[in-house]
Amino acid sequence: MEAYIGIDVGSVTTKFAVLDSNDKLVFHLYLPTQGKPIEMVQEGLKEVKKQLPKEVNICGVATTGSARYLAGVIVGADLVKNEITSHAVGALHYFPQAQTVIEIGGQDSKIILIRDGIVTDFGMNTVCAAGTGSFLDHQALRLNMSIEQFSQRSLESTTPVRIAGRCTVFAESDMIHKQQMGHRTEDILYGLCQALVRNYLNNVGLGKDIQPPVIFQGGVAFNQGIIKALREELDTEIIVAPHHEVMGAIGAALLVHEEMSASQQESQFKGFGVSEIKYRTSSFECKTCPNLCEIAQLSINGKILARWGGRCEIWEREPSS
Amino acid sequence: MRIGVPHMGNLYIPLKALLERLELDFVIPPANNRRTLSLGVRYSPEGMCIPFKLTLGNLIEAAELGADTLLMPAGSGICRLGYYAKTQEQVLHSLGYDAEIVSVGVSQRKLLGLLEAIKRLSNNASWSKIISAFRFGLAKLNVLDTIERAVQKVRPVERVKGTANKLFAQAVSATEQADDYKSLKRVQTDYLEQLSLAERDESAEPLVVGIIGEFYVLLEPFSNMDVEKELGRLGVEVRRSIFTSGWTKFSLFLNPLGVNEKDRLHKAAMPYLKRDIGGEGWESVGEKVLHAKDYDGLVHLAPFTCMPEIVAQNIMPSTKENIPVLTILCDEQLGKPGMLTRLEAFVDLLKHRRRAKVKV
Repeated sequence: MEAYIGIDVGSVTTKFAVLDSNDKLVFHLYLPTQGKPIEMVQEGLKEVKKQLPKEVNICGVATTGSARYLAGVIVGADLVKNEITSHAVGALHYFPQAQTVIEIGGQDSKIILIRDGIVTDFGMNTVCAAGTGSFLDHQALRLNMSIEQFSQRSLESTTPVRIAGRCTVFAESDMIHKQQMGHRTEDILYGLCQALVRNYLNNVGLGKDIQPPVIFQGGVAFNQGIIKALREELDTEIIVAPHHEVMGAIGAALLVHEEMSASQQESQFKGFGVSEIKYRTSSFECKTCPNLCEIAQLSINGKILARWGGRCEIWEREPSS
Repeated sequence: MRIGVPHMGNLYIPLKALLERLELDFVIPPANNRRTLSLGVRYSPEGMCIPFKLTLGNLIEAAELGADTLLMPAGSGICRLGYYAKTQEQVLHSLGYDAEIVSVGVSQRKLLGLLEAIKRLSNNASWSKIISAFRFGLAKLNVLDTIERAVQKVRPVERVKGTANKLFAQAVSATEQADDYKSLKRVQTDYLEQLSLAERDESAEPLVVGIIGEFYVLLEPFSNMDVEKELGRLGVEVRRSIFTSGWTKFSLFLNPLGVNEKDRLHKAAMPYLKRDIGGEGWESVGEKVLHAKDYDGLVHLAPFTCMPEIVAQNIMPSTKENIPVLTILCDEQLGKPGMLTRLEAFVDLLKHRRRAKVKV
């Protein structure tokens, strides 16, 4: 069996998708990153190995997400792709007619506009993470419920309260205030969903021409309250993609399949053995010039594998032994 | 009296040449770095833009080196730059530096004012000496810009990544050291030749992206996170709307050719914006209209809180001349990884767009 692996290492979760040579999803995995991107990639690979048949041939590996470069060095990726393109490709695979992709993840949210199967514009939240998954997680925790309960409970709302959603810090104080005034929890929860959707549309979606079909993906697409609020606000059907939570990884796998077929090259995949290697990350301040760049490095047994973070090229040369 | 100047890209090189030829005592503060930025951020009033913060940092660092007479551009356009010199002077005074800021008018009609300011600073040097020093500074500026234009063409197609950047760094320091026209000329010829000899991918047809927006963030790579180098690394050829020499030509002189590029831009922007809104806002809209056909995309750089560019950003989507625009707001809060993600996605978008066009 031939297989292509897409790995999406995000701030909050790490996603794996394995496609066969017909681009059919054969296995996917959704793990919490817990601030340990390297360990999670290793753990995920172990799981992938367990699930795939013995005689599998890995023909291509791609990484995406905010830790794509780090993950790429560890697994020996054939392709390192940004998460915006990956999500667009994933969405188009399942919905060739898609015109708008809304993606809300743990720390960032995106909007991608597509016309005639080509991305024409995109937006991503800039300075503020308001309205993303980690805030919802945090609020669920504060109200002592799971994020699944949050999702169900918000649908029971009959008279949602208005919550200031511009900034998550103020949204939280506003929520507490509404709680202390005696509003029902479900009304507060759905009010929060509405506030976050408003904020998303006025911030990330500002000035974007949102046309149906609208595809919703990313971890937050699990949340029924957000889906409902989006549908109400946009007044259109919101299509939640199948496997929406791993769509970035699927997109990356699709892209690497395309690339490997075009180039006819062997995969640089380092094999499932990388799960057993002990990696070390460290950083230092380069003092060569007054820029004082923070250089991060990845090493095994004192041997440098890669370095990042400089403004100039001096640390980017091929790592010497 | 010791003169100090703020940084903007490589502008310090011609300034240094000018001040040296006038035999003045001066200091060039360290190139923009993290300390400059934190000083600037710390002592700037709330809501100031990155050009203000960085130049303030430069002026403080110059004052630390004993400068008591600081040159700062002011004037031109209706943006807040007009009063930066005054505000920065107050900050410096409150920090205990007894420094005077000489605001140098930089608008088309102020060349005389600028020359007069130099005359006053130079202890009444003769006009011929001033003009000759000025010309030499400008010559350096032109050499730097000529070489940089060549660098922009080599970056996307070079076989060994980083070749052009390395040559450019060498060329900059060689230009700085050149002390007469002859050696200056040799620097230009030498480096243009080396750049033309750099091994390149002949089959590459790089995407062409115009860099437009506010002049300071365009000309100071530290403030825009080296957006040009990063685009070059992604295989994109950049065409920057403003070069230091062009900027000084517009703002310090009446345009010698008589054809004003700015007029052309204003005319193009006319259907969408009928008046100057300060800074380069009017020009940004015009750039989009004029270049929609010949570029693959535009990267629009603006300082965070820059009103003219925010207005331009919101006008641009409604022009009928259609070309993808990526706006990047430059600020001390701008994170490099986030910017790279956007640039990479933007380049993918442009590639697919070009491929689709070829098919049709």
